[in-house]
Amino acid sequence: MTMATIERRAVLGLGGALAAGVTLAPGITLLAAPAERTEASAGRRWAMLIDSTQCTNSCTACTTACRKENNVPLFGEPSRDVHWIRKVELRDKDQRRPSVQVPVLCNHCENPPCVHVCPTEASFIRKDGIVLVDMHRCIGCRYCIIACPYKARSLVYHETRRTDESNPNVPIRSKGVVEKCTFCVHRLDDGQEPACVEACKKEGKGAMLFGDLNDPRSEIAKRVHTVATKTIRPDLGLKPRVYYQGL
Amino acid sequence: MIDEFAAIEGRSQGYWKLIAGMGLLLLLGAAAFIYIEVNGHGVTGMNNSVVWGLPHIFAISLLVMASGSLNLGSMSTIFAVKQFKQFGRFSAFLAIVLLAGGLTVLTLDLGRPDRMLLIMLHMNFRSMFTWNVFLYSGFTVLCFLYLWSMFQFPQFTKAAGSAAFAWRFVLTTGTGSIFGVIHAREVFHSAITAPTFVAVSLTSGTAMSILLLLASFRFTERELDRRLLFALRNALIFFLLLVLYLLIVEKFTKFYSPAFYDVESWILTGSYAWLYWGGVVLLGVLGPLAVLFNSNLGNQIGGIAFASGMVVLGLFCFVGFVLIAGQAYPMNMFPGYEAASIFQDGVEGSYAPTLVEFMLGLGGIGVSGLLYLLGIRFFRLLPKKATAPEGWDVAWHP
Amino acid sequence: MLRFSSLVRFVLTVLPIAVGLLWLNPSLVMASDGQEHVPGALRLEMPAGKKECVKPTEWMRRNHMDFLKHNRDMAVREGVRVTSDSLKNCTTCHTSREKFCDRCHTYAGVAPNCFECHHYPK
Ligand code: SF4
Ligand code: SF4
Repeated sequence: MTMATIERRAVLGLGGALAAGVTLAPGITLLAAPAERTEASAGRRWAMLIDSTQCTNSCTACTTACRKENNVPLFGEPSRDVHWIRKVELRDKDQRRPSVQVPVLCNHCENPPCVHVCPTEASFIRKDGIVLVDMHRCIGCRYCIIACPYKARSLVYHETRRTDESNPNVPIRSKGVVEKCTFCVHRLDDGQEPACVEACKKEGKGAMLFGDLNDPRSEIAKRVHTVATKTIRPDLGLKPRVYYQGL
Repeated sequence: MIDEFAAIEGRSQGYWKLIAGMGLLLLLGAAAFIYIEVNGHGVTGMNNSVVWGLPHIFAISLLVMASGSLNLGSMSTIFAVKQFKQFGRFSAFLAIVLLAGGLTVLTLDLGRPDRMLLIMLHMNFRSMFTWNVFLYSGFTVLCFLYLWSMFQFPQFTKAAGSAAFAWRFVLTTGTGSIFGVIHAREVFHSAITAPTFVAVSLTSGTAMSILLLLASFRFTERELDRRLLFALRNALIFFLLLVLYLLIVEKFTKFYSPAFYDVESWILTGSYAWLYWGGVVLLGVLGPLAVLFNSNLGNQIGGIAFASGMVVLGLFCFVGFVLIAGQAYPMNMFPGYEAASIFQDGVEGSYAPTLVEFMLGLGGIGVSGLLYLLGIRFFRLLPKKATAPEGWDVAWHP
Repeated sequence: MLRFSSLVRFVLTVLPIAVGLLWLNPSLVMASDGQEHVPGALRLEMPAGKKECVKPTEWMRRNHMDFLKHNRDMAVREGVRVTSDSLKNCTTCHTSREKFCDRCHTYAGVAPNCFECHHYPK
């Protein structure tokens, strides 16, 4: 990780004073040294905006980056492979518009049914709005998979192993627990953006925008307030935090 | 008539064969559990579209039957049908053992059963599962008190029986609500799902009781008055009509609104239509009704037993349909669009059960069966002779 | 009348079955490494060039599991990440898992499964 100019809308919340960060411009902070202590901030609402007009059909930069970053296993069985983020092809039923492909991932809903149904509170909402699964507590009942309307979750059906390519910063998952997208929480806490967003930027697409909705100066807050965006199935009332533009 | 209970002898060869058979099922279940534990759920047919499979069908069917088997006891305790008082003990005990079997399968199929007690440490009271933990344990306690009062404190039977009776409705509503409250799944998201579960528990519990009573009385060569059986038959007919009514109301309401055309026509004509028509409707409701209404078959023990068998199988089909079809129906994430992806978006989920799952489910039946067989041997649960008063007769015959 | 003796007989019959099933407990079977363990004092190597842990050694010996577990829950659920208290930080001094964690855990007959999922740098 380069210590130079990293966008640091990320790192600290209430404990901001602890980090030796210098604010350069609103929403942009210079990271001086890694913080000794970080904490999720109740004041933040992490969100993502996906611009489907910028997302091209053959590109899989985001899904590949996610698989690499989070050690998401592929078992070679399509019905059991784990996907934290996937490209979904949408074809207008009346064939009036050309088909589009958009990434779909956990929406980190404000009213997440997966959390509501989890008997052990293994699925929970972190203070900054990220919905996570506590792998140490999940009993593998799969009720959350039944309840999530976005197919965001997968059970780990087989044993997985670390390889030399595995990312050492992210644990693998034991068989029998449920996993899903974490918005790359380990990276957020370290002041980085999610791996998919970074990969999309690197690819020159910039179809994914990530940031704090509660910060009125952040780009995502501005975009969400000015351009027409949609969420998936708003009628379910879950208030997803992954917004789509141009759908 | 009452106070003439006797434990069965339990020395015959047939008894030991039954015990051995149930024990075998139990061992099969245990072996399947260990196999799944060691190798992961990959050895089952479940996948990321259909995450609940055969073990859950067995488990939930047993749980639904458990609450229904309290019917016989309630008939005497709540509705003062005195002739059924002699089946009170049997019915409360049956409820406990069926519950035990169902819960065993349910917990053993968890991805991490070693962490099961975490439910006790961290409870999420918004989860239907947490509720069900209380509903099941409460029901077991109440059934036990009810049973105990029938043995020793008849003055409390009414109170304990009423409490258990009320609890069982909440219990089955809770079981049905596991499915009914889930908005994401169009096939079973409905306020009527839970009442349907209650109605199905009434039919299947009665049917199971009929089958077990017939078998137990025949094998022990005790006398069972046919008129009692006819009374049960009439109750079963009533409950079956109730299920039919609820099914019709549901389909009527859904088909009235164009919003549900897609999912409802899929249910009636899609790839699981055979299970709906053949299992839920024909085996579960219309078939047994036809048999029971038949003036010939409906008045014969064989006919009633046959219909009861159909009802029990129909229950498994009902639960299986709700579970498998409910999960297989693709989620409609982008209304108006056709979706496709490498994660089976927009396509039906597939599920091909494997032998291990089936064995795990049979394990639950083994638990229930073994407990029942041991119970009637050690406790005086069954009357020496089940008779009805002279001159009494059921109100109606087909 | 419910005879007490019949209750006892019932329990006595069901109990062996249940115990038998528990005895087959697969997690125990899986946890065992199939080796015999000899009693006696266990001395672990000190990390080269280090004197003090982040907490006193004696305290750590008794409490590291609760300490790590508490930090784990805080990190996962509250996002509180304290670099010096993290599992990762342990591995900067205790560079060999075999010589440190595993030896003592084998000796004490416990099988925590942290590193089934977490990475222990070589
Ligand atoms: S998208 Fe699904 S898994 Fe993610 S928070 Fe919403 S309900 Fe939960
Ligand atoms: S599978 Fe795990 S995360 Fe999902 S509801 Fe069950 S315990 Fe909670």
